[in-house]
Amino acid sequence: MSLAEEYTEASDGSRLERGLAYVQRNSRAYLLIAPAAVFLLAVVGYPIIETFRLSLYQSPADSNIETFVGLQHYVEIFNSDIFYRLLWQTGRWVVVGVAGKTLLGLLIAVHLKGDIRGRKFFRTAFLIPWGIPYAISAVVFRWIEHPQFGYLNAILLKLGIIEQGIGILGNPSLAWLGVVVADIWIGTPFMAIIFLAGLQSIPQELYEAAAIDGAEKWHQFRYITLPQLKSVVLIATLLSTIWTFVSFDVIWTMTGGGPISSTATLVIHIYQVGLQNGNLGRGAAYSVIGFLFLLVFAIIYLRIYTRGGDEL
Amino acid sequence: MTMAGHDRSGLRKVRLYGVLIGLLGLMMLPFYAMFSSTLKPESEIFAAPATLVPSDPSFQAYLQVWTQTDVLLWVGNSFIISVGTVVLTLLLAIPAAYSCARNDFVGKRTFLLAVLVVQMFAPVVLIVGLFDVITQLGLFNTYLAVIVPAAAFTLPFNVWMLYGYFKTIPVALEESARIDGASQLQILTKIVLPLTKPALVASITYTFLYAWNRLLFVLTFLTDSAKYNIPRGVFSMVGALQTDWRMMLTVSVIGIIPLLILFAFLEEYIVAGMTAGAVKE
Repeated sequence: MSLAEEYTEASDGSRLERGLAYVQRNSRAYLLIAPAAVFLLAVVGYPIIETFRLSLYQSPADSNIETFVGLQHYVEIFNSDIFYRLLWQTGRWVVVGVAGKTLLGLLIAVHLKGDIRGRKFFRTAFLIPWGIPYAISAVVFRWIEHPQFGYLNAILLKLGIIEQGIGILGNPSLAWLGVVVADIWIGTPFMAIIFLAGLQSIPQELYEAAAIDGAEKWHQFRYITLPQLKSVVLIATLLSTIWTFVSFDVIWTMTGGGPISSTATLVIHIYQVGLQNGNLGRGAAYSVIGFLFLLVFAIIYLRIYTRGGDEL
Repeated sequence: MTMAGHDRSGLRKVRLYGVLIGLLGLMMLPFYAMFSSTLKPESEIFAAPATLVPSDPSFQAYLQVWTQTDVLLWVGNSFIISVGTVVLTLLLAIPAAYSCARNDFVGKRTFLLAVLVVQMFAPVVLIVGLFDVITQLGLFNTYLAVIVPAAAFTLPFNVWMLYGYFKTIPVALEESARIDGASQLQILTKIVLPLTKPALVASITYTFLYAWNRLLFVLTFLTDSAKYNIPRGVFSMVGALQTDWRMMLTVSVIGIIPLLILFAFLEEYIVAGMTAGAVKE
């Protein structure tokens, strides 16, 4: 019996009664998803609503007194210089980070694709930076970039590129680069693995035909690999964009958003305002702005994912 | 094949491996910096500029770290949090995924898509509201304060992974068991789940890693240092004025060893999990 038939089967009685009867007939199906659904509503759904509500209140974390202020937080945010600076800093963080991860990931994947001896070893080794705690990666990069004792300065001095040690993370115009390098290092393996899987799904015959036609390597890459890889690249860069946008642990551990807020992104600012400074209402308003960004990403993702009316 | 052809393909191989090893070396540099530093004595680690190769390597730091830091406690807490998250997530995900794979009902599509959206909803943009929920539930400073949100944000992956896999298991198997008088629960645990092993391993690994690696929840919901996990412990060692780099890097090495073992054995499952949402067959 089809879903629609079953639903309209009980033609008499009110909608509610029919609905209840339907749920009763399928009670086991609903009972089994209920725990997960209720859990998600409580732990994710409710905080979303609570965030929207809080964004309309003046609500210090250290007191129980909430004052309704309407859209005041939003008005103040949109009229502040900080907000536009945050957008710029978030934008460059995401663009440079995702570009770095994509290019490096593609480079690794292309070289792992062929008939490689020990591919499992290489694949596992390349995976590691992605799978270890972000905070650990962050302190390691902090150590590498240490102004006095860091390896980076030692190498640059040896090569004669610099004459005295530079403090990257303490420099407001360089610090974000010092952090984005760590984020690229962490995010590259995901891209490499996804691209590799995508490359392996391209029919080998296409390359064989091209080789017979005498197509050069670069042309094969340009006219076979890239077009065939398009949807994989699309999904992977979109996911990477989301994850880079919400990247918290790395920035927080390396710089805490400093110096003078030069490495703060939107999500770092949410944390600073809402939890560190205890201004829950203002933090919530920034969160709502963050939601909107994520919503756009999510809609694009869902459209790609369910494209062509694929069966769920 | 002519000699020239042999030479050309040989040369290509050499270049290919050359690039691969070069890339791998580049990606491994941070590990080298981390590990080589832990082999230096205190006097050498604070040498400026840094020595790129330890002059007198010793594993002294790995003997001192157990008494000088709380690393054992942190590793233990990481295990509690990771295992707790895996258990809670699976308890919620298995029935839901099974129900969706075996039944057609109004709201199924909505549920599955809503779950997918949760996956994109990064916890950090939710942290202010989440803080409220955790406090109201009285979970602040308990392991559950970390396990509950971690389970919520790993649930989507688990539901989709298991749902996709359950669908591939023939219903006929279950029906014959039902005729033999097996209960619903027996069918699930005795017949379906054993067949689901690859998806289960991928789910468990993903969830375990997620809970092991994240700093945010512990940073926000646990102020009791006796409950710190590895990321939080390492974070707590970053001093405003002074940092014991030697001990901190040693703790870091210890904190990733369990993960390296996990990767070595379960690499295929991890890769299967990573590509699940992005590469369609």
